Amino acid sequence: MSSTVIPFGPQHPVLPEPLHIKLVMEDERIVEAIPAIGYVHRGLEKLTETKEFTQNTFVVERVCGICSVMHAMAYCQGMEELMNIAIPDRAKFLRVIWAELHRMHSHLLWLGLLADAFGFESLFMQAWRNREKVMDIMEETCGSRVVISANIIGGTRRDLSKEQMVKINQIVDEIKEDLEQLESVFLNNYTVKHRLVGRGVLTKEDAVEYCTVGPMARASGISMDLRTTGYSAYGQLDFEPIIHSDGDNYARTYVRLHEIYQSVDLVKQAIAKIPEGEHVIPVKGVPPKGDVISRVEQPRGEVLYFMRGNGTKTLDRLRLRTPTFANIPSLLKMLPGSELSDVGMLILTIDPCISCTER
Amino acid sequence: MFKMVENVLKNLVSKPATRNYPFDKREPFKDSRGHISGCDIDVCIFCGMCQRKCPANAIVVSKPEKSWEIDQFKCVICNACVEVCPKKCIFSSAEHKSAQSFKDKLKLVQASKPVEGAEQNA
Amino acid sequence: MIENLVEITSDQLLAETSKSKYESYRFVTSTCIDNGDDTIDVYYHFDKDYEMRNVKITVKKGEEIPSISRIFFSAILVENEMKELFGLNITDIAVDYGGHMLLSDEELSSPMLRQQITIEQRGGKQV
Repeated sequence: MSSTVIPFGPQHPVLPEPLHIKLVMEDERIVEAIPAIGYVHRGLEKLTETKEFTQNTFVVERVCGICSVMHAMAYCQGMEELMNIAIPDRAKFLRVIWAELHRMHSHLLWLGLLADAFGFESLFMQAWRNREKVMDIMEETCGSRVVISANIIGGTRRDLSKEQMVKINQIVDEIKEDLEQLESVFLNNYTVKHRLVGRGVLTKEDAVEYCTVGPMARASGISMDLRTTGYSAYGQLDFEPIIHSDGDNYARTYVRLHEIYQSVDLVKQAIAKIPEGEHVIPVKGVPPKGDVISRVEQPRGEVLYFMRGNGTKTLDRLRLRTPTFANIPSLLKMLPGSELSDVGMLILTIDPCISCTER
Repeated sequence: MFKMVENVLKNLVSKPATRNYPFDKREPFKDSRGHISGCDIDVCIFCGMCQRKCPANAIVVSKPEKSWEIDQFKCVICNACVEVCPKKCIFSSAEHKSAQSFKDKLKLVQASKPVEGAEQNA
Repeated sequence: MIENLVEITSDQLLAETSKSKYESYRFVTSTCIDNGDDTIDVYYHFDKDYEMRNVKITVKKGEEIPSISRIFFSAILVENEMKELFGLNITDIAVDYGGHMLLSDEELSSPMLRQQITIEQRGGKQV
């Protein structure tokens, strides 16, 4: 049979960001997929070599809006290790609270996009209405909705007052309540299940072979969550990674949806356990010569920061590997064999963040 | 199913979740980072700390001219300058800036007569 | 500072990578650093149960490096990226974009190298 090549993207209603995939089709079935990225390459890694190490905190936050807290967190943790700074305990808990709030808003955004991708407009609005509550609490506590600039080398920039913590507690409860109403639609609705169950299966063996990370890997039955290594204050909180074994679109939806509940729980735990004290310590000196690696679990998976200091104010090299960069090969595995009408959903369920990928 | 019906009814009778924006504005949160509205130029000592710490190179301080200038279109509103200022003379406003028709910079010069930029966006 | 660092030469790379794969390590990514003195450090990061294993090779500019993408397919993106941004001479990548994954024709070659070297290269290539 002769094959057809269909270009998918970079502009497509289902794609939040520009990703181009050449689909080699035989009839309605895909036989090969070749990705092309490079539409939003901004050269941020090069930029960090010209900025001071304190300024870089703000640069890495702008790699990706949706996971800005975790980017800054990974960078700050790495620099603190390199410069041998022990940050106060309170700062660690504050970082966890903001990071988990961020994870909630990222997953709610993704659930909305998913609903939009299969044409369930009202569900999309409901998910994003919930997300708005997180955005508001973010602006109230940090001063900005998305790029909240909460982390700084040596701690956090702002502290949470008692009243604010009570309010956060209230709001995460409300979100949990609202989400319970949506959960049955996402997971039990006949039409929705039709688009999700059995589509885009990534088996556990494939997920290992293609080095999948984050919720993708957890949906394929791999128990991998860097938070269990106990960085920041995660070691003092009680949680289990959420795992599903099917590896299809439904499993990925299940994992992400239940991670919102997990985040609600983590925020409440962190607020209950947060110690009193300083939230930031002054940082003196410059990063010494040496390499350091720092890894953090983002909403989309593991992010790796590699820093090389050279004894001056600027860094020799800052490399960051974002989760989507690691998940694109798995997407290439999932696409062949599926139908053209499923491509949008498949690309969406890896939660692509292309501006992260290209930096 | 019952929950969804409850939700539908609630949505039908409740107010919309959105605001009628240009007519109905939400009060900005206290301490929100809206924009850098200016600098108390009479207090400023022109040390240039804000210029050095700014990650976007939006601030230019000139000691001989005694001027402090911010390009609000470069500014990423991280408030690093506000925190680092030894005299605490840079103001951050909680209100977000609205759309502008000219790309003017905000320049403040310390002199006997306080000359200001063509358009002060405070 | 970096845990489990193994320093090898570029001809041992494939054997070391195969060994990591055999011991069921996961390929995380690789990192490329221009040392500024005609050599480039390339790190390959592997992970197993949150334990990292880092393999470091130091190569001269222009020296051939074998691709590990036949062993770990997920290395294709990062190897193409290193090839473009640092001008590493990686041979036999499973999916080779030929230097056009991130960059277009008009752009500088190897923009991530140290500045003075980039300018020299551009001078050489400009017509």
